[in-house]
Amino acid sequence: MAWRRVLITLAVILPLIGILAYGFMRDPRYINSPLIGRPATPFTVTLFDGNKLTLADLRGKAVFLNFWASWCPPCRAEARELEAAWQRFKDSDVVFLGIDIQDTEEDARAFLREFNITYPNGRDLSGKVAVDYGVWGIPETFFLDAQGRITYKHVGSLGSALIIAKLDEARRGIVSTKEGKGAYSSVR
Amino acid sequence: MRSENQSIEDRESRIAILHHLSSILKLLSAFILLTSSLLTSSLFSAQQADLEDQARQIAAELRCPVCQNLSAGDSPSELAQQMRALILQQLKEGKSRDQIKAYFVSKYGDWVLLAPPAKGFGLLVWVLPYVVAAAGIVLVLLAVRRWAGRKERREPVAVEPSLIAQVKRESVIEASPPTELESGSPRAELLQEQARLYADMRELDFDYRAGKLSETDYQDLRNALETEAAVVLKKLELSPARHAAAPKASETRSAAGKQTVATEKASRPGWRLVAGGAFLLLFGITVGVLLTKSVRPRGSEQDSMTGDFLTGTGPGGIGSSSGMAGMEMKGPLSKDLPALLTQGRAAYEKQEWPKAIDAFKNALALDPNQPEAHTYMGLILAQAGHADGALMAFDRALSADPKFPLALWGKGMLLYRAKEDLSGARDTLQRLLQSMPPGAEKDQLQKTIAEISERASRQKGDSKKAATGASPPLSQGIRGTITVDPKLKSKIDGQLVLFIIAYSAGSTAGPPLAVKKIEHPVFPLTYALGPESVMMPGLSLSGKVRVTVRLDKDGNPMTKEAGNLAGEFKKNPVAIGSQNVDIVIDRVL
Repeated sequence: MAWRRVLITLAVILPLIGILAYGFMRDPRYINSPLIGRPATPFTVTLFDGNKLTLADLRGKAVFLNFWASWCPPCRAEARELEAAWQRFKDSDVVFLGIDIQDTEEDARAFLREFNITYPNGRDLSGKVAVDYGVWGIPETFFLDAQGRITYKHVGSLGSALIIAKLDEARRGIVSTKEGKGAYSSVR
Repeated sequence: MRSENQSIEDRESRIAILHHLSSILKLLSAFILLTSSLLTSSLFSAQQADLEDQARQIAAELRCPVCQNLSAGDSPSELAQQMRALILQQLKEGKSRDQIKAYFVSKYGDWVLLAPPAKGFGLLVWVLPYVVAAAGIVLVLLAVRRWAGRKERREPVAVEPSLIAQVKRESVIEASPPTELESGSPRAELLQEQARLYADMRELDFDYRAGKLSETDYQDLRNALETEAAVVLKKLELSPARHAAAPKASETRSAAGKQTVATEKASRPGWRLVAGGAFLLLFGITVGVLLTKSVRPRGSEQDSMTGDFLTGTGPGGIGSSSGMAGMEMKGPLSKDLPALLTQGRAAYEKQEWPKAIDAFKNALALDPNQPEAHTYMGLILAQAGHADGALMAFDRALSADPKFPLALWGKGMLLYRAKEDLSGARDTLQRLLQSMPPGAEKDQLQKTIAEISERASRQKGDSKKAATGASPPLSQGIRGTITVDPKLKSKIDGQLVLFIIAYSAGSTAGPPLAVKKIEHPVFPLTYALGPESVMMPGLSLSGKVRVTVRLDKDGNPMTKEAGNLAGEFKKNPVAIGSQNVDIVIDRVL
């Protein structure tokens, strides 16, 4: 009788503790993107040099699409690595594109200058592109294959090893099952 | 005369009436125009307000992706504002509420819905409350039935006549209640119950003899009590210590029997108490550890309060929580910022890294933006080989004080030595150079910068060689360094574009021979003007050229507007193939 009572009590309490632990172990703001493996939403941005760039024009090339802002520390942390990766890939069939969100033009330009960034960068003024890609923390990076499909997403700063590996996968059209995660800061 | 006058008057009055009429008409039409425009505009604004209302309603059902427990309708964040604008725009395009919600779900997943869809894990949220409520009702019903059942059990049941006879025999004998078995074991409870029933029977007998009860009442009550006592007796027979069944027998119980009852009595509640206590303690510790480890002070308004070891989002306020904990342990000794810094510097000089780290950490706990403490942390990190961490520390120091010399020096050297970022290193050290008093140190720094510039130009040559396959032979171009006159330094805005222009030495007018465009130049700048910069196909760089440079504000090489800076090579013209074509920008156009 006493044992049964203990068992029943545990059967009620343990699942409750389990739910509590599950809740504590999740970052409530972390959003798993449903976009991996799906075609990337088309957009056109005005680059900092005044030209316009349309994503559809990049069909046939793997695209490294990076969302950033000058006020975000992890973006600063990865900026050098990104430029170094661009220098490595710029003569191959890979395009790097940076999209500056929630930023002032002045700060963004200063950021590009500080890190000597040479790959094309543009601004998303209305936030439409950011929402189209489900951006909630920056930096967020999307890898697109030649058909314009999202093969991988990474939230947080990237290292060169991962950039190389995932670009290689994107060029071969290999879709990752899950997004990756590093240090990130929340969008405003 | 009169008729003439009259006719004139008539005409005048008619004209006046006409005037009157036309002015009334004008007024009327103006009025109609006004009301109609008012009507349409108010209709329009009503429509607009309606759309905005709808947008707000839709936003209220969507989660703000960067907030905690706020809808996109309530959040003041920039992203939520942009979401509201997007919703309004889509409403204007004629999209329905469901279409708009589906759009956000397709981008952010079901997560974005404040009311989760009734499927998968979300189903639990919809179903669980009802399940729990139903379970509660069932539990209450069961409990009530059990209480009711207890009373029902007292109804007379069929018992063996031999037991009734035993009860009749025993009830007459007045036995002392089993005092040593007052509580605890079920057996002791049964014995007590039995004693109580016997006592009730004797009381009943007494009342009957005293004439207080009728014959039938007495028999009914007596039978009920006897049956009850027989049931108890039956239970006693079935319970382990059978030989101690009757109260009479309790007097002759063996010592061993006494002991088993005693241990039974003591052990059961004790075991429960210990288990319950242990469980409570464990629960308390678990909750305490989980809470303290997963909740942290917010580093900023944007920061979440969950984090660290469970969610892996990293510490929010560096130095705020960990540094504080360290400080409390050290006691009141380390509350003084200058003292801490001196202490840290001394430890750093003596290469006592842990001591230095402690001191600077505590300093940062007192003032999270202390540039010197950040710088020293950076230097220590750099020593330990953590270049990225060191760079971050230097950047923090510089964001607090952009001209902090030690941080500039540390960052510059780190970029140069560890990161091989030559232009970044040169940039940083140049900034340091500007604020440095003249002396041996400044000379040394200038030497280092020159060294970096030289390496950078060499590397540029190398990379060009790698890119184009072969570097342009020097015979087909010119090279040199461009600097800016110190007096004009303040006029340089980084958004300028630098043009290096070579004119053919012979012609004074006409288009330039070669132009090179450099965006966001950083001075001193090493350049090479080669055949790839030639303007007209078919022409080649040869002979002598005049080289000029212009810092242009709008980036258009064709216009020369006031405020542009310019300079030229002092020994123009220069032969193609020359090195060290160094140019100083020293003129304002």
